[in-house]
Amino acid sequence: MKRRDFLKSSFVISALGAALPKTLIGGPKRSSLKTTSLDSDKIIVLVKLNGGNDGLNTIISHQDPLYYQLRPTIGIPNNQSIPITDSLALHPALEPLLPFYQNSQMSIIQNVGYPNGDLSHFRSSDIWDTGSSEDEELFTGWIGRFLEAEYPGFPENSPEFPLAIQFNSANLLEFKSSNSNMALYLYDPDTMYSIITGNYINDQENEAPDTYGGDELNFLREMDLLSFEYSQIINETAENAPNTVLQYPNTSLGQQFEITARLIAGGLPTPIYRLYQNGYDTHIDQVGSSPSTTGRHSTLLSELSDSLSIFLSEMDALGVLDKVLVVTTSEFGRRAFENASLGTDHGTSAPTLIFGSDINGGIFGENPNYNQIDVNGNMEMEFDYRQIYSTLMTRWFGTSESITSSVFGGNFSPIPFLNQTVAIHDESHILKKFKLHPAYPNPFNPSTTISFNLPSNSIVKIRLFDLNGKQIQEFNLGQLNSGSNEFILRGNSLPSGPYLVQVKSDFGIRSQKVMLIK
Amino acid sequence: MPLPSISRRNFLTGNHSDARPDLDRLNPSWPTKRVAKFVREHLEKQPPIYHPPKTDEIAPVIPGTNNTESLQEVNWDMGAAKHLLSRSMFGPKYPEIKESSENSMELELSSILSYQPLPDPPGDWVDEDAPQWDALTEDEILELLQQYRIRMKDLGYWWMKGMMRNPVNIQEMITLFWHNYFATAQSKVIFPQAMYQQNSVFRQYGLGNFKELLRQVTFAPAMIIWLDLYQSTREEPNENFARELLELFTMGVDTYSQDDIVEAARAFTGYLTNGVETNYNFEEGSGTGNWWTNKHDFGSKTFLGQTGHWNGDDIINIIMEQDATAIHICTRLYKWFVYQNVNETVVNEMANVLRNNNYNIATVLYFLFSTEHFYDENFRGSDIQNPVTLMQGLIRKCNMENFDFSISFFIHSQEFLGMLPLEPPDVSGWPGYRSWINSITLPVRKIQATSLITGQSPWGNFDMTTNVRALAQSMYNQNEEGYASEQIVKNLGFLFFGNPLSENLEERMLAVLLDGAEPYDWSINAPPNDPQWNRMKDLMIYIMRVPEFQLS
Repeated sequence: MKRRDFLKSSFVISALGAALPKTLIGGPKRSSLKTTSLDSDKIIVLVKLNGGNDGLNTIISHQDPLYYQLRPTIGIPNNQSIPITDSLALHPALEPLLPFYQNSQMSIIQNVGYPNGDLSHFRSSDIWDTGSSEDEELFTGWIGRFLEAEYPGFPENSPEFPLAIQFNSANLLEFKSSNSNMALYLYDPDTMYSIITGNYINDQENEAPDTYGGDELNFLREMDLLSFEYSQIINETAENAPNTVLQYPNTSLGQQFEITARLIAGGLPTPIYRLYQNGYDTHIDQVGSSPSTTGRHSTLLSELSDSLSIFLSEMDALGVLDKVLVVTTSEFGRRAFENASLGTDHGTSAPTLIFGSDINGGIFGENPNYNQIDVNGNMEMEFDYRQIYSTLMTRWFGTSESITSSVFGGNFSPIPFLNQTVAIHDESHILKKFKLHPAYPNPFNPSTTISFNLPSNSIVKIRLFDLNGKQIQEFNLGQLNSGSNEFILRGNSLPSGPYLVQVKSDFGIRSQKVMLIK
Repeated sequence: MPLPSISRRNFLTGNHSDARPDLDRLNPSWPTKRVAKFVREHLEKQPPIYHPPKTDEIAPVIPGTNNTESLQEVNWDMGAAKHLLSRSMFGPKYPEIKESSENSMELELSSILSYQPLPDPPGDWVDEDAPQWDALTEDEILELLQQYRIRMKDLGYWWMKGMMRNPVNIQEMITLFWHNYFATAQSKVIFPQAMYQQNSVFRQYGLGNFKELLRQVTFAPAMIIWLDLYQSTREEPNENFARELLELFTMGVDTYSQDDIVEAARAFTGYLTNGVETNYNFEEGSGTGNWWTNKHDFGSKTFLGQTGHWNGDDIINIIMEQDATAIHICTRLYKWFVYQNVNETVVNEMANVLRNNNYNIATVLYFLFSTEHFYDENFRGSDIQNPVTLMQGLIRKCNMENFDFSISFFIHSQEFLGMLPLEPPDVSGWPGYRSWINSITLPVRKIQATSLITGQSPWGNFDMTTNVRALAQSMYNQNEEGYASEQIVKNLGFLFFGNPLSENLEERMLAVLLDGAEPYDWSINAPPNDPQWNRMKDLMIYIMRVPEFQLS
């Protein structure tokens, strides 16, 4: 196998590694990750309004006659919307979010998009997911590249918690890194719910048929839960979470917010969540025939604001609203003018909503300019979506500007909905830890250097296992001094293949995989 | 329900990590002491082969499902055709299932059970003579053994390719069935010619008369080596073969006595092979030459109450007169083709058919495949696919059967999934059924399957992946109602899951495919570079990860 190929495929090796006995690896301890600049207790909850949210009917220019001219039927009447400034109002369905706006816990970033907006759902979603421009095609996601830069040891040295959780079933582009998917994937709310409750079947629609085929399906479902790498920590975290009296709506999004809240309340250190709400592709019957405040869009926004407001309240009650940001995104907005089916067609820019207590609340950017719509009836963009993502990275997580600009292939100026944070990196405590550094070189032939750090003097033993968990070699290194130590592992007598190196000291056990290629 | 899982610790420290059946069963003096020593030295350096531990749990019998009526009017539709094809071949494709359902069931059965000519062998070496080991230097022996190992891998690879390229016919599946039935491991047989020859017997005789199949397997080099028949002599009869013949190959446990084994073992003396030829003459039905004259026990034996100067063929003749034999064969067929939990009434009827039709295997399969019982809803999706059926079938379903996979992709995947063809754990074959699934193998199954979509596997990357657009178009019918996206979801669920597609899962699948768009946004004719096809790849990956995917 070529080195390049090996690196590309290493995620799968890690996935095999995940199947390795945890008992062997030494129990639930943090792996030896590179020091990351990520603020460990800060969390972002991204909500995708899937299908293209009609931003113009979400944050409404309720004093602009052009708005009503372009949208005579579906426009939200002035007296129905909820004014927040002289010229802007919220859709009435967002009423539950009003208190957050009033408390400066909500920012509205107007006219977010990217130059030359693409009107295909799939293409435009890909652009947002990959953090690319309209004219470039990337095959990794912005979150994937971001986490990869912060956790270069992943997936060989993955932490005990998922780096990202997304409530969708697919292998989503947004989380793909060059060699892995940084998110815990596969998990639609149903499955996540079953992990949390330890019971695969949570509703009747999901019940296996009463046949032998159904029996085997039940057996496989049990095994599926058992074999899932993070199921234990997620299950335990959820159990740790204090009970809440808040009732989340019985919708998919409500369920996603509820699970997210439980995991955050239980102390899961996962920094990124991605939630999904489908249905925003409102070509038809976006509004009820009368009044325009009913209909599909209104229902969707109600679902959003109902569950989001409960989530924010719970975060507030837990005292962590200053540690959690909720950010809505959508692949595009809708056309300025309505169509003939009580709906709107694919458009370009739209507002992004941000919630939290440690933000600068209010409106950022100009009101949508209905005088400046292009020949297709689309609004002009003001902010590039990558400005928002860059701001989240540098000002929320404290990521260095060099990493941020490498993720997006350039600098995107921050938007001041967050203040500049001064990240404090105290590395002194790191040196006090028992830490195993990545072996170098890896893959190797014939030898590789295993280096590790001891907090103080300790007897050290190194053991080598094959992938079946069978011990191949053992080296007693005796008493070693504190600080940095090295051991050269020679593979001359070993067949090619992956091995697990285990370093045992008085401070615990650290392991990592190495690959011998002859 | 208790969880029949292998804990990670068990996987590490259980009986299996140190168990080395491949080493334990080696004969230290065959074919010569020197060769045997080299074989052992090589094997000792190899990591142990992973065999999933057996699990004892079997689902409880569901009352009211014992529809034993046979040859009734089977509702021959797409679902029935899929069920038949999924059990009798590797990876039926959507258009094949459709075509099959449009034929009559009788025509389809005749076609599936029709005899296929033997494929071209994996190389000229299949006819190579056995070497004169004593005339070779140490280096020459080592070199030849290395060559044998390479050929053995080539043979496995050749077979895997045959499976994934199989036509709509049972030949490859019945070959795997008999390999599991007469489970023989290459690590002990050493000669690739012998393994190839046995494999060819399964193909050639696998649908015909069972007795002839049994004779062709028994008196061939692979079996003579595998169960130590060549060591069984008049002075020291070796019971190994006789015991397995009765217990596993013909009558089944508790249908004979230990005395019968002893007497049968005496009859099975004096057989010899050099790895390629034997001293057995099929026409005469007995051994030949000095070894036979000196080592065969010509004395009188009493076997199952019959006394005579029996040799191996005579014992087989007596066995074939026993009712238990047909029942045992049909039980094994039932477990492979229907379900682990045997319906005795149906098996008894099958046994009658088998006996009344001169032990013709194709006839009893035709009978089974045309019963209502076989198509009972209970059995749809009840087969936990073995790793080889799963992977070779998947490759074919994804239209990748002509893709040039590396040997290591197949071998490593099968090693990790616990089913390396030509290397069964022991003579009873793979325990199968729920043993296939544990917390180690299930994740690997998913990784292995999704590699066809992602192009990334732990055993190397591919430069070509499934053409999802072609796959979608192969299952699209413009005359059917509904949007293409909805049709594709339904049909993918139909093709890849044994159980009926639940509404809940269908919804989730559609959500993955559409990713927020409306059903009409997804077009069957979108150009190949349209990002919508990436959603279909996502959907394929999703399909491969849900538990339903493991069942056929």
